[in-house]
Amino acid sequence: MSSDQDHLKTTDTEERFDFKKDSEAAYAAEKGLTEETIHAISDDKDEPDWMRERRLRALKQFQAMPMPTDWPGQPDLSEMDINEIVPYIRPDIETRGGVDDWKDLPDEIKDTFDKLGIPEAEKNALSGVGAQYESEVVYQNMLERWEEKGVVFMNMDQAVQEHEELVKEHFMTDCVPPSDNKFAALHGAIWSGGSFVYVPEDVTVDMPVQAYFRMNSEGMGQFEHTLIIAEEGSEVHYIEGCSAPKYSAFNLHSGGVEVYVGENAHVQYSTVQNWSKNTYNLNTKRALVEQDGRMEWISGSMGSKATMLYPSSVLKGRGASDNHITIAFAGEGQDIDTGAKVYHNAPNTKSTIESKSISKDGGRTNYRGLVHIADGAENSSTAVECDALMFDNESTSDTMPYMEINESKVDVAHEATVGKIGDEDIFYLQTRGLDDDDAKQMIVSGFIEPITEELPIEYAVELNRLVELEMEGSLG
Amino acid sequence: MSATIKQGLTADTVRELSEARNEPEWLLERRLDALDALEDAQLPDVIQTPGRRWSNLTELQFGKLVDPLNQVDETERVTDEGIEVLDFETALDEHEDLLREEFGATLDPETNYLTALSAALFTTGTLIYVPEGVDAEDVKIRTEMRSRSLFSHTLVVTEESASVTILEAIGDEGPTEDDEGRYFSNLVEVAAGPNSNVQFGSLQDLSSDAYCYTLKRGDAGDHATIDWIEGNYGTQMTRSDVETELNGEGSESQIVGSFFGHEDQHFDVNARVWHNAEHTTADLVTRGVLDDTARSVYEGVQDVGRDAWDTSSYQRENTLMLSDESEADASPKLIIKNHDTEASHSATVGQVDEQDLFYMTSRAISPEQARNMLVEGFFVPVLEEIAVEEFRDDVEELVQQRLD
Repeated sequence: MSSDQDHLKTTDTEERFDFKKDSEAAYAAEKGLTEETIHAISDDKDEPDWMRERRLRALKQFQAMPMPTDWPGQPDLSEMDINEIVPYIRPDIETRGGVDDWKDLPDEIKDTFDKLGIPEAEKNALSGVGAQYESEVVYQNMLERWEEKGVVFMNMDQAVQEHEELVKEHFMTDCVPPSDNKFAALHGAIWSGGSFVYVPEDVTVDMPVQAYFRMNSEGMGQFEHTLIIAEEGSEVHYIEGCSAPKYSAFNLHSGGVEVYVGENAHVQYSTVQNWSKNTYNLNTKRALVEQDGRMEWISGSMGSKATMLYPSSVLKGRGASDNHITIAFAGEGQDIDTGAKVYHNAPNTKSTIESKSISKDGGRTNYRGLVHIADGAENSSTAVECDALMFDNESTSDTMPYMEINESKVDVAHEATVGKIGDEDIFYLQTRGLDDDDAKQMIVSGFIEPITEELPIEYAVELNRLVELEMEGSLG
Repeated sequence: MSATIKQGLTADTVRELSEARNEPEWLLERRLDALDALEDAQLPDVIQTPGRRWSNLTELQFGKLVDPLNQVDETERVTDEGIEVLDFETALDEHEDLLREEFGATLDPETNYLTALSAALFTTGTLIYVPEGVDAEDVKIRTEMRSRSLFSHTLVVTEESASVTILEAIGDEGPTEDDEGRYFSNLVEVAAGPNSNVQFGSLQDLSSDAYCYTLKRGDAGDHATIDWIEGNYGTQMTRSDVETELNGEGSESQIVGSFFGHEDQHFDVNARVWHNAEHTTADLVTRGVLDDTARSVYEGVQDVGRDAWDTSSYQRENTLMLSDESEADASPKLIIKNHDTEASHSATVGQVDEQDLFYMTSRAISPEQARNMLVEGFFVPVLEEIAVEEFRDDVEELVQQRLD
């Protein structure tokens, strides 16, 4: 951490806000999140008053809400002192994350990039070093192509200015209100950066919208907000994050994702996230799905010290559907508490959840899911399948689904299995000339295939490579 | 909450109960300890999900329901050769040392507010002691409660290689006159010695204005088997916890549950196993039917500890909903700390299969009869596990009563 803190002390962002971190004591004096922090953020972004008001309201809610402490088996958040974390936010306000030089990156991150076989130029982009130029080229090219169809894809901060009415209507109002949970409230108060995607009626964006380069080059940081509005009959696939570990100086990532899926629209949100292992990853992601709309969540959760993330879909309209495919990998010292939530609030709605997890070297994975079928949501169906693979006896794998069924004309099925990697399978592969590690690798690749096959090839390859590295114990 | 009950509940009340029954000093002490524990004890945990608490145990009006000094029951105990099936007072005379050692050993009376209350106030109870190598069948305890409240304690101890099949049934004389309800509380402890075998069946058919709380916990020794059959049919609200600790190598447990809720009944049923030793096996099977505005809450926990090598653990929960107004909530949980485990759970909720109904009605069976047959058929996997014929008949009859 110390090198990260050094970095924080030297950013000009900090100077602008006149932070005094010359000594430990002065540093301590700045702890805590106050209204002044909010005003500073809002001033810096030159935000309209309504956004400033929303931030301030969210701050009040954040301060009023207790930390979640009574969830059965929840990750230990006791070491995460919010008052310690908050000062870290400031440098992130400026869209200027990352370090000034490649060589200043932590070795862990540099090694990973090397092992992933990522070219130097891309490494720079991914690490946020000098990526501005390259990133903008990519961004502009894509923008032109979409603009012709009326599609908007831009930085969330920019969208507040340029698409004020749309943002005002949809930003943390119906989908993820700050009152949803403590970290949604925190996010509402200090969010910064992220993506805004707007797809007009009947427009199909036939290539994935990727916040891959941009996210890093602009240093969108740890409180990014993603707002996707897909109007009636439209279709878009949004991919966020990168499969390389992000350079993270912060202890807390608390992002917000809101997706509005219009009637008969189809949105796929894919993310492969690999946070550094000192990060608490506490996010809120939710989609509101109108009649016959379809929402797909594809996610790979790697890295982080503790993750609490349960992407959720509210199936509001008749015939709306949801599909979740998730994979979690927890290594040493990691607690990945993740799952899916689906609210069936209309008839003929359908959801499927497929969750895979791997735990190794004392890591813990937990599937925590909620399926709620409201009274009147007749002919709804849901199928949940969770499979957990455990490598060793130090690891833990839990499954905690919750099902609330208020309607009789439904079809609800939940299934979960936990098992160790099969000795027989390994033996079989060994007799075919594979060594132990390769055999395990092959079994794991097969195990996560349902996830990788849903991802565009470059993500699939990198996800596979990341899993390989985790298994070799050569990551982080 | 505790204030309500504590007003009328003092150490003197507990002493009076104990003295009236000529109890030894140590048992009085334990009652008083449990009474003290009420100060800080919490109600049993109930499941909470965003915006809701699945069961509301605070609606229990203890002030009105609990009348410690006027507990009356009529209990019939059917025993078998070579074993002891004794009411608690007789057991205190004849097996005081055993009681002293085993009472509260498997089930800590201070587990929660309701267990502590029960341990402080119980007036009826049974000791079932099965000596080494004895094989006993058809042990029955049939209790009818005849007071507003009744607290009961059942203790089963089996020695090495013993075997016993027990049916415990609770009923009452009908709804209370003032409609303010009854409260029945039952704590059951099973200490199964090495290589012994216990099947404990429990049938609850209390009046529709009653409340019931029961916690049953077993401690299985090496290669011992504890099988529970839990049938819940009566009451307006039942909270039932059935738990086995697989502490012995190669021990096994099956927890079979059935319930049928109608009108505005609420069942909060829970089945939990802890795999604490090597080569243990557990199988949790629960089937329930809901009609009218009835509601079920189910939690199943399979907890595999770090030292539980070579574990097999299975869980299935199926709920059939006959009415749109009913609600079925379920949370089957796997907690796995040893990778040398084969574990799975599954849960389903649904209505009577349309195709089956269609098939049967096309064979000239009336829709109602067809539905009833399908519901009866739904309980077959549970009925098949019941070793006591009389118990099986009782369950079938209760199911039929509900359907009529």
